[in-house]
Amino acid sequence: MIRLRGVRKSYTTGKVVNEVLRGVDVDIGEGEFVAIVGRSGSGKTTLLNILGALDSEYEGSVEVDGRQLDSLDDVGISDYRNRNIGFIFQSFYLMEHMSCLENVALPAVFARGSESMTREAALARGREVMEQVELADKCDALPNTLSGGQKQRVAIARALFNRPRLMICDEPTGNLDASTAHAILDLFRALNEDQGITLIIVTHDDMISKACKRVVRIHDGKVVEGAGEFATRERPELDPTEDGGDDTPAPTEAAAPSQEAQP
Amino acid sequence: MRLTRLLGIAVDDLKQNRKHFLLASIGIVVGIAAFTFFLALGGGVRKVVLGEIFPLDKIEVIPRSFDIDVSVLRVPLATEIIDEAKVEALEAIPNVEAVYPKMKLTIPSMVYGGQKLFGNNLRAELIADGVEPVLVSEDVDGEYPFEDFEAGVEGFNGWQSLPSATMCDTDEQCTETHGETYYCWGVDELATWERQVKRAKQRKKEPPPKPVDNPRCRQYIPIIVSNHIVELYNGSVRRAHGFPKINPDSAVGFKFDLTFGASMVEASAKDRTLSAKGMLVGFSDTAINLGMTMPVGYIRRLNVEFGDEKTAGIYHSAVLQIRSKDDVAGVAAAVKDMQLDVTDTGAEEAALLITIFMMVFGFVSIVIVGIAAVNIMHVFFMLVYERQQEIGIMRALGASRRDIRRIILSEAAVVGALAGSVGVAVAIGAGRLFDWVSERYIPEFPYKPHTYFEFHPALLFAAFGFAIAFCVVGAFFPATRAARTDPARVLTGQ
Ligand SMILES: Nc1ncnc2c1ncn2[C@@H]1O[C@H](COP(=O)(O)OP(=O)(O)OP(=O)(O)O)[C@@H](O)[C@H]1O
Ligand SMILES: [Mg+2]
Repeated sequence: MIRLRGVRKSYTTGKVVNEVLRGVDVDIGEGEFVAIVGRSGSGKTTLLNILGALDSEYEGSVEVDGRQLDSLDDVGISDYRNRNIGFIFQSFYLMEHMSCLENVALPAVFARGSESMTREAALARGREVMEQVELADKCDALPNTLSGGQKQRVAIARALFNRPRLMICDEPTGNLDASTAHAILDLFRALNEDQGITLIIVTHDDMISKACKRVVRIHDGKVVEGAGEFATRERPELDPTEDGGDDTPAPTEAAAPSQEAQP
Repeated sequence: MRLTRLLGIAVDDLKQNRKHFLLASIGIVVGIAAFTFFLALGGGVRKVVLGEIFPLDKIEVIPRSFDIDVSVLRVPLATEIIDEAKVEALEAIPNVEAVYPKMKLTIPSMVYGGQKLFGNNLRAELIADGVEPVLVSEDVDGEYPFEDFEAGVEGFNGWQSLPSATMCDTDEQCTETHGETYYCWGVDELATWERQVKRAKQRKKEPPPKPVDNPRCRQYIPIIVSNHIVELYNGSVRRAHGFPKINPDSAVGFKFDLTFGASMVEASAKDRTLSAKGMLVGFSDTAINLGMTMPVGYIRRLNVEFGDEKTAGIYHSAVLQIRSKDDVAGVAAAVKDMQLDVTDTGAEEAALLITIFMMVFGFVSIVIVGIAAVNIMHVFFMLVYERQQEIGIMRALGASRRDIRRIILSEAAVVGALAGSVGVAVAIGAGRLFDWVSERYIPEFPYKPHTYFEFHPALLFAAFGFAIAFCVVGAFFPATRAARTDPARVLTGQ
């Protein structure tokens, strides 16, 4: 489904050039449940953003179903995201002034062509996905009245709204406690198994990465494990230094949780 | 519709940030209100000044070497005169709709009367003009006709040979036999004559000739006056003297005595005088500004009576009615080619002054709106910065750069539309208030209008459009920055 070849990415801050990805080759197949792991600052998020077509500034090739992503213009790529990808972030990013239902139906606003629907249809579909994440009773609530786990479920409902083929999750449980994280993981599993949605999850959480059918590990800007073609399920031996370690030269980058979405 | 949905997002955001926008749009409201107010004021004043005080579609033409003395005694001094031939030539100028030749009364005269209007009889020097009756027929269509009733008779006193000049003793007799426009001429004149004869006998002098054998019925000389006089009188003169206000309609039919050849200034008085009565029959802008206007025949007979035959065919000026005010310049040039001059009415200066006024205030208002737009820009920059994660998530959910730009620009347009409507409403409200205050508290003055404003729909639309345009322009750079928001960066907390 997604095929990355020789993907390179570097950030330039002032005169300092930070090479984050130094030639990544990776294949993600339809219906896979993949974890991306690696030390903090190793470039997991960077890779994920490229996989999710959120970042188009890279060298190398990204192919989706045999089609080069960079052949699409801004509208094309926005439409691709709208139809095919659901995003889940560590800090949820819900619109504070909208009800949960309106948040969930937000993708309908940006839908183009065949995806367009009336407001009524959008709200109906919104209720449907809210039921799917077992929050049917919270439709009219404002996001800041919910718990962290509930917020993340609303975000998942929003990601599910347009029936995506791929879900991109950046530390989805990073802000949640263990039992809530478990519930979210169960939800992911169900989505993958019942609906065949491809899931790519960046995580520091062993519980999640162990549950995944495949683990892609990056180190030093390269995929060092799990890059293979439809790799058979491997049980990675986890590096004990992983969670505490840091690949980046900048000391400020130490495993800091990202900031809250809305003040 | 996709656009409607984007607008929905925009309106939502506006509600969210209404306090910011309320503050930022005050400048737009003030600027647009000022813009609308001053331009409407300029338009309204222009309407009064150019429509009523100095109509721009009329120019008055005078001989070039005329003695431009304000005195009554303006006599052509050189060869250039306005005669019938010149009048025809003037009529032939393109875009001239009509030519109204005017003849001035060249002898000092006096008017006496006014009991009915002013409460007192007044005596004043008379300045009189003569015009062809047909030229004011449109203005004078009341109950009394404006025409030369004594046309075709010999001399100013030749009327006595008219068939209607029956013998009488009182005015009532004439009114009954001939109509309301008749009076009995000669009763006073004979009484005066008898006194003069008596005095002459005492001084052993030659008695003056008898003015008339017997009083006879005569028609009042129909008189029209300019609307300006009524305005001036009602607006200021009457205040100074404590006279009552004149209602133009009820003033029609008002009668007074006219004495030609007499003057308050002894030196200019003639050795004999002629008398008649006049009746006010109407108002016209074609009438002389300060004075009375009568059918040209009367003036011509008087001028011949006191001067010589030659002056009878010479006009002192001519008013040209021009098709549209845009043609004035062309006509004026043609007039100058004919060795004639155009009198300075002040219209051009007034128009220029008003235009300058409108430009200055319009400019100031636009500057206010411009500053407000900069303010709007700041607010949008701030909000775009504050909302960058919202923008990022919208991008992740499928909003294109263009969508983001549209959302921001529609927010600006909505702010502009609201501020513009409020601004226009404030201007109209302020105008109404101004008019009301003027109506109630500002004393009458000449040409005091009912409204000082002309809120032309085009002006209101323009103001409204400006508000939107300035807000959209102000939001342009913030919208561009918002559109460039990199979702990968803002959403991953880097
Ligand atoms: N927008 C950016 N500008 C400059 N440098 C960046 C930017 N985004 C990421 N980086 C740098 O790229 C490197 C990789 O960052 P990335 O967010 O991909 O790491 P990560 O593996 O997701 O780390 P973490 O586990 O802490 O989330 C880091 O050194 C980071 O400082
Ligand atoms: Mg990360």
